[in-house]
Amino acid sequence: MRLIGRRSKERLILAGTFFLSIIAIIPLLSILATVFINGVSAINLEFLTSLPAPFGESGGGIGNAILGTLIINSMACLFGIPLGIFTGMYLSEYGQKSRLGTAVRLVVESLSGVPSIIFGIFAFTLIVTTVRHYTAIAAAIALGLMMIPLVAKATEISMKVVSNDIREAAIALGIPKWIRTTQIVFSIAKSGVLTGCLLAFARISGETAPLLFTSLFSFFWPSQVDQPMASLQVLIYNYSLSGFQDWVLKAWGASLLLVLIVVAINVSVKFIAKPKFKGSA
Amino acid sequence: MSKKKPYFFNYKESAFRYLLISCSLVIVAFFLALFYMLISQSLPAISSNGFGSIFGNIWDSNNGIFGGLPAILGTLASSLIATVLAIPISLGIAIFFTEYAPARTRFILSIFIDLLAAIPSVIYGIWGLWVIAPLIKSGIQQPIINAFGFIPFFSGPAYGLSIFMASMILTIMVIPIVSSISIDLLASTPLSLKEGMISLGATKWETMRHVGIPFAKIGIFGAVILGLGRALGETMAVTMVIGNSYSWPFDSVSIFSPATTITSKIASELYEATSATHMASLIELALVLLIITLAINSVARLIINRATRRGYPQ
Amino acid sequence: MVYKLETLKLKAWFSEKQVLNDISVQFPPKSVVALIGPSGCGKSTFLRCLNRMHELVPGAKVSGQVFLDDDDIYSPKMDPMDVRRKIGMVFQKPNPFPNMSIADNVVAGLKLAESHSKNDLAEIAESSLKSVGLWKEVKDDLKKSGASISGGQQQRLCIARALAMKPEVILMDEPTSALDPASTANLEGLIKQLKNEITVVIVTHNVGQAARISDLTAFFYLGVLIEFGDTKKLFELPKNPLTEKYITGRFG
Repeated sequence: MRLIGRRSKERLILAGTFFLSIIAIIPLLSILATVFINGVSAINLEFLTSLPAPFGESGGGIGNAILGTLIINSMACLFGIPLGIFTGMYLSEYGQKSRLGTAVRLVVESLSGVPSIIFGIFAFTLIVTTVRHYTAIAAAIALGLMMIPLVAKATEISMKVVSNDIREAAIALGIPKWIRTTQIVFSIAKSGVLTGCLLAFARISGETAPLLFTSLFSFFWPSQVDQPMASLQVLIYNYSLSGFQDWVLKAWGASLLLVLIVVAINVSVKFIAKPKFKGSA
Repeated sequence: MSKKKPYFFNYKESAFRYLLISCSLVIVAFFLALFYMLISQSLPAISSNGFGSIFGNIWDSNNGIFGGLPAILGTLASSLIATVLAIPISLGIAIFFTEYAPARTRFILSIFIDLLAAIPSVIYGIWGLWVIAPLIKSGIQQPIINAFGFIPFFSGPAYGLSIFMASMILTIMVIPIVSSISIDLLASTPLSLKEGMISLGATKWETMRHVGIPFAKIGIFGAVILGLGRALGETMAVTMVIGNSYSWPFDSVSIFSPATTITSKIASELYEATSATHMASLIELALVLLIITLAINSVARLIINRATRRGYPQ
Repeated sequence: MVYKLETLKLKAWFSEKQVLNDISVQFPPKSVVALIGPSGCGKSTFLRCLNRMHELVPGAKVSGQVFLDDDDIYSPKMDPMDVRRKIGMVFQKPNPFPNMSIADNVVAGLKLAESHSKNDLAEIAESSLKSVGLWKEVKDDLKKSGASISGGQQQRLCIARALAMKPEVILMDEPTSALDPASTANLEGLIKQLKNEITVVIVTHNVGQAARISDLTAFFYLGVLIEFGDTKKLFELPKNPLTEKYITGRFG
């Protein structure tokens, strides 16, 4: 009698946890589905390549927002990736036990928990109020700062798991430490670092709050980086709240583009890094 | 072929070392600058109104009164509700993943969890605003009001954009964090102990209940705190579905009434701040948020580090 | 007799714990010297003092002198990296660089420490691989990763990598303990050939191996050099009772 009770309980738990998992997956599927369904009708060549039409008129596109996002993200990467990689290298090979290393590790850890809007406010107070106009450079700094903890952590971990045997081999050959760090250990850790950079890129592509007070928005093609610039994220935010049907539709189209980028990156990194199969089933 | 160096001071080695240290110092400098800017930029508000005034409950920019309590409470309430709701779902996912799901399912499930975490906040916002809010309003909020409306928390009218709506969205955003850390923790239960249970004929659930969960308990708690930290800092999704109104909780206690959070308030007002004190007060609110999230995240990391370091042999 | 490698009152510590006490030995050129002794006797530590790798362990200390020809490698004027280029090392677990091809592995020490022309490197790679008997087996796969070959081949690759530096001494820390019997026999044959060119100092826990391949044997116990001398004589008629007990397997 008791054994039957235990087996049924087991089946109940299996069903229950499966059900809870489904509850979490449904919103994801709903998001992907609605973004696709609502957005796909907005996408055409004009949408991708032209400027927004004057308010009230339909037509036009989001070309400036697409370009703007690319420009801002690239600048952020230029700022955040090198700093992140070198910091990660330091933490893994040079600063394992030093006081500076502990402090840096703490700072990197803390930075990863800071809300994105705070980075936006920081860039706003540091740059925008100083130069007295909204500028995409401030946005790049804010997003770059957000990338640093992700890239640094990925670099540190990827380099730390390189077996010490390799380092010993390099030492025994009389190879200088900096060459060993960059050309041997880092080279082995490459794929982990790449994964970290890609994920960081995907992350900042979706961040909107920091852009609200830095690059703001623009209805024109990006001309200078030291000016407000359109971006996909801010466009989605503004257009979807506008109540103007044509704009809401365009917001869905932009959302589709954004989701495609983010999903593509997140799925493809699963195939760069070794898939980890945790669990005992 | 090799040249003998008279001194072995290698300038390239030092240069590289200084490069690495400089980069690390730059990051520390930015972190300190972050605090410095927030503190200095909120000084105008602190000096004119006093620090405690940010905790008042009236925000009237025209008359220079900047009490942020409804926003602070909105942040805390929506995040706490979301975190509490996320716990059972995340645990369910973690248990299913580690004990019951076959390998292929695990791979797909892990992709789904990663995607949940990766979907940009503003997409959650547009989805919540245009797809979910109308559904929730008529499908969930109205029935609850009809049935339980006599309780102040559930009283009408049913605003789609409300603190309830924000909590729902936040729950979904917290789940991937708590579940992925819980999965890691449950998967690192000492094999010897699991085998001890299994050899006694225990079912998977019994093993989980008597060995897996007790071991992972502390770490899971840490993961929950981390999820709370994430919810506290969330901006766009919340801003788009919370209604942006100061009526909660002092005018109406109902969870179906529109409300606001620190992040929403800043996001919607900073651009149009009317006076220096207005802007400084918003930044003061940001400082409050920063302190809260840093504290919560530090506690979470401490707990998780302690839990994973305490001898989990693979 | 001119010695290739000589130590004078060598002492070594791990933090406060002393693990080597007043080791003074002389190794002749073009010979194989085996270091034997039970676990923890200090033979590996001694080996690592010979190429200045012991001092890299946090808290480790070395005192005394080690002469390569006439130069004390511990003199403040000596660059440790220079020392390691002249005294090579092969480890217990083969450690080829997995991110480099077989060819690049062989010349890694040369490429990364100095600059050579591409043709030079290819020739050096070929002759090093030939000298360890690996050329025929890998010459068509030179671009494959260094980690893609078998354990025995990897170990020979590591030896080729060390030999490409044209060292004067090569140190081996239990080089066959991670290998199967066939690869072990292969490697022992290689070591016997190498002694025609350079001095080989090999740590081994396999007493039979020491007897098979070495010209001289040093027996360590608890950080002290108990006995050192011609291998045949040491094994047939050990002077010290401890040596006899160890060789006959009564302990260790």
